[in-house]
Amino acid sequence: MTTDLAVVSRARSGDPEAFRMLVESHSRATFRVAYRMTGNEHDADDVVQETFLRAYRQLRHFEERADFGTWLHRIAVNCSLDLLRARSRADKQYGGDPESAELAGAAGARSEAQQDRLMISAELKTQVATAMKRLSASERTAFILRHFEGMPVEEIGKTLGIQVSATKHTIFRAVRKLRESLEPFVRSTPCNT
Amino acid sequence: MQHLTEEQLVAHYYHDADAVTAEAHLATCEECRAQLATLRSVLALIDQLPIPEKNGAYGEEVWTRLRWKLGSERRRSRVWGTISAIAAALALAFIGGMLWHAGTQQSSPAAVAAKNTPSPAAAAQTASNSSSVVSRDRLLLVVVSDHLDSSERILLELSNADAKHPLDITSESRRAGELVASNRIYRQTAARRGETRIASLLSDLEPVLLELSHAGSTLSPDEIASLQKRIDSKGLLFKVRVVSAQVNGQDGVTKAPPKGMDSL
Repeated sequence: MTTDLAVVSRARSGDPEAFRMLVESHSRATFRVAYRMTGNEHDADDVVQETFLRAYRQLRHFEERADFGTWLHRIAVNCSLDLLRARSRADKQYGGDPESAELAGAAGARSEAQQDRLMISAELKTQVATAMKRLSASERTAFILRHFEGMPVEEIGKTLGIQVSATKHTIFRAVRKLRESLEPFVRSTPCNT
Repeated sequence: MQHLTEEQLVAHYYHDADAVTAEAHLATCEECRAQLATLRSVLALIDQLPIPEKNGAYGEEVWTRLRWKLGSERRRSRVWGTISAIAAALALAFIGGMLWHAGTQQSSPAAVAAKNTPSPAAAAQTASNSSSVVSRDRLLLVVVSDHLDSSERILLELSNADAKHPLDITSESRRAGELVASNRIYRQTAARRGETRIASLLSDLEPVLLELSHAGSTLSPDEIASLQKRIDSKGLLFKVRVVSAQVNGQDGVTKAPPKGMDSL
């Protein structure tokens, strides 16, 4: 993006107004990545904040040839990953999954507000959100990166610090869990492959 | 016929497998096609997972929350820049001193002669010593000036904080922690040099910085009110500004070394 390039260049030279423009134009896209990764609106808001803080600190390392949005996207993924890992450690320490009910409730509440725009029922959305919540941090991350972000398996492996074969298996485990949870809600469709 | 495994179906879906082999099998196996169709339907449900829609003002909201934190970041980076510059100046002064010392040792006969007979060379050396003390004096003023500037910003943020709500002070607390150590050194140095006004101010400042550095990431409304009361009761912000202005004034003028200022 030519516009981004000029603004990034100004931001790198310490112009706060330029950084404000970058924050304002990339916040919503960053939120979408963060929400997919964390599955929680409050966490996603935190990730957005942390992403821009990290971006600000690392701005001088940003190569101007690269796309700023892509660079920011990677930072958001890493911030989400850090949060999921921290959450996973806390879950292991304290046990249970106290957020599931809250998440399901929130998903239900959201569904009411957006009912007219969405193709699936509120109950189904709750089931999808709950199914995603059943995934471990690494399964969720690997799945989101592959499914939504289209990241190659090798790169996901690097991000998670695991081998390619382990990455493939993690994605597979995630899909299997999702399938187990959601298959009852899928109407049988004719084979057309 | 050997069917595709679940793992192979997933890999096929994401184009991570040998497409030709899988396609060839799928073309002839209705059961695997049905499995793949189910997988597609499940993953299509995931695609419809709703993402809360943020309105056009979201970017502005993010910036509003971020601006305060970025201000702290900028100030911290400025402080570190100043510290680096001072460190570089000290290193240069040290190397210069070493070279000067080596030079005087090499020319010892001249130095002996100079000691026995008051001469322009001896006068120059005295002037050089005096100039060195002035430089060190200036160095103290520069670092104290910057230190007071950073402290003033923290005090200002605290004084202006809304005592009705908790305040995130993560970066302020970290900065206060960094300032506590230097505050102690500057206070001791100023006291040794007879700069009682600076020493007294730094002495008042230290407990506030210390408390802030130990306060964690958030101040409760009660803690904010208590700190604001302390800052007000000692007139700390006012004193910092006055001394800071005086220090800046002194820094801009060449003056004779004050008494006792030879041990920085």
